[in-house]
Amino acid sequence: MACLLWEKLVKFTPCGPLQIKITPMPAILEVTNLTKTYPNGVNAVKGISFSVNKGEVFGILGPNGAGKTTTLEIIEGLRPITSGTVLLDGIKTEEQPYLIKQRIGIQLQSSAFFQNLKLTELLQMFADLYGAKIDAAQLLADVGLQDKAGFLVKNLSGGQKQRFSIATTLVNKPVMIFLDEPTTGLDPQARRNLWELIAQIKNRGTTVILTTHYMEEASFLCNRVAIMDDGRIVALDTPDQLIRQLLAKGFVPHTEVPPATLEDVFIDLTGKTLRD
Amino acid sequence: MNQNTRSFLALTKASLKMYYRNKGAIIFTLLIPVALLSMFGFLSSGRGPRIQVGLTNKATTEMAQQFVAALKSVEAFNIREATETDAATELGKGDIDLQVIIPENFGKTEEGKPTASTIQTRFNKGKPQSGHMANMVIVQIVTGLDKKVTNAPTVLDVKSEGVAVNNLGYFDFILPGILSMSIMQLGIFGVAFSFVAMKASGALRRIQATPVKPVYFVFAQATVRLLVTLSTAVILLVFGTYFFGFHMMGSYVNFFLVCIFGILIFLGIGFAIAGWARDETQVAPVANLIQLPLLLLSGIFFSRDGFPTWLKTITDYSPLTYVSHALRKIANEGAGLTELPMDMIGMGVWLIIVYAVAVKLFRWE
Repeated sequence: MACLLWEKLVKFTPCGPLQIKITPMPAILEVTNLTKTYPNGVNAVKGISFSVNKGEVFGILGPNGAGKTTTLEIIEGLRPITSGTVLLDGIKTEEQPYLIKQRIGIQLQSSAFFQNLKLTELLQMFADLYGAKIDAAQLLADVGLQDKAGFLVKNLSGGQKQRFSIATTLVNKPVMIFLDEPTTGLDPQARRNLWELIAQIKNRGTTVILTTHYMEEASFLCNRVAIMDDGRIVALDTPDQLIRQLLAKGFVPHTEVPPATLEDVFIDLTGKTLRD
Repeated sequence: MNQNTRSFLALTKASLKMYYRNKGAIIFTLLIPVALLSMFGFLSSGRGPRIQVGLTNKATTEMAQQFVAALKSVEAFNIREATETDAATELGKGDIDLQVIIPENFGKTEEGKPTASTIQTRFNKGKPQSGHMANMVIVQIVTGLDKKVTNAPTVLDVKSEGVAVNNLGYFDFILPGILSMSIMQLGIFGVAFSFVAMKASGALRRIQATPVKPVYFVFAQATVRLLVTLSTAVILLVFGTYFFGFHMMGSYVNFFLVCIFGILIFLGIGFAIAGWARDETQVAPVANLIQLPLLLLSGIFFSRDGFPTWLKTITDYSPLTYVSHALRKIANEGAGLTELPMDMIGMGVWLIIVYAVAVKLFRWE
């Protein structure tokens, strides 16, 4: 046992010059030297390695076109790998994509659903696709949509849509869920509400991997973050550690940071209650 | 239950719900054909009173006389005795609806055993309902006589053939045509638009993020279209029969089989377009480009006989020509599938072409 753990620790390859702090939690996802070149020649992912520990919220940050979504879609079994390996819950993605999909929950960046189906019907359909039994009402209550059971997705607000979308990722009681920019386009209230939901899911023991453009979101939610740029991981650590390292390099903010942000002002003035 | 079956059923159920909650689709696929049918039905209503029968009795036996007496006792018949050639001429002119020929050996015995013989009937194709009914009556009389002769009911037989006369009932002609049109529209427009919408919105991609193999989604969509087509066919047939006296001469099984062939061909075209297109704006022009010429040139609403030869030759090969022609032959003339080899081969070839193209063009994103 100790031997196995030792092997895992030794095998763990740190990225770049940064020292990776290894937590004792077992890894649920291991990505090794992953590359992706699209048929049109675009080299979207250029050899990345990282691992995600069981029960953590792992964030992938980066500007548009950095390769975040491609990375996620490869791990999810939605896109073929060019080279490298992805080991999720002990299964190689490229070998058994359908088995992987059976064990994970996926929220895509544009979360569209079939028209003319009610929320409960959609949840039941997704459950059937996994062969899972669900209590649709309870699942809706878990994401705060108990009053919307008979609604169509098109009649939901942006925040409600995202919460419903997360509910659909939970039908099969996944070991890990993937959220691709879950809060993009939401107002601050809906965004904070979604953070709480993601934190609850994490507290129930589900591993979460998410991408985001919002740094305060990453520092609020994520145990560790990987920062991607141009198909590579340029940094990977806990948010606190990354900040400390930057300061250690002698970084001084251009302006003095006020103790409150404009968003704090906004929330203070408009309240935390959801506007749906 | 197998997980694939369960997924397929879940997707079929979802597709069916989406379909019947889509008011536009219901109007498009059910109400418009029924409205068109009613329009044509009212334009071409009117039915003859009694069935005019031209009878030629070549036999002198007692049984032949019994048969003639039985025929004359049928109220719906107006019997006129004539020679075979005269009656044939009258049938050709449309003066009589049915010609009955009793052969010389009818009811004769040979060495104590009855001789097998066949009563021949020929009816006016333009009034298939009269011909069909008359034929049924005659078969009943013959079966009755046959049982008197022997226990084996194969000795006496009725052989019937339709003779094309130019007063073919327009309503009988138009119903299979309108049904073919619905089949084509359901297949091409019905599937292409909804499928592309799901593709463009990302709903399809969301399904791909589950463990179901995406091809089951295509199957589910096809199954729903198949069910809708068959219901459309049933509704049109019931409506046409009940209100406008449409008579099905052939077998319903054959008729529905051709409907299924038809929807499979046009679904293939629909999936080829949907598979190729990125969004709805690409679907409309292509679907129309395929559908309009087919609609106008496949002899759905009017016969292709007036076309110049070259155009008639080209349109002979249209998938819609095959489907509508086969449906008409079955409904109007009672043809069996084996009597329609060209239509069956034509539909088979189109099936292969269409699915080869669909598979080639298909892209999930």
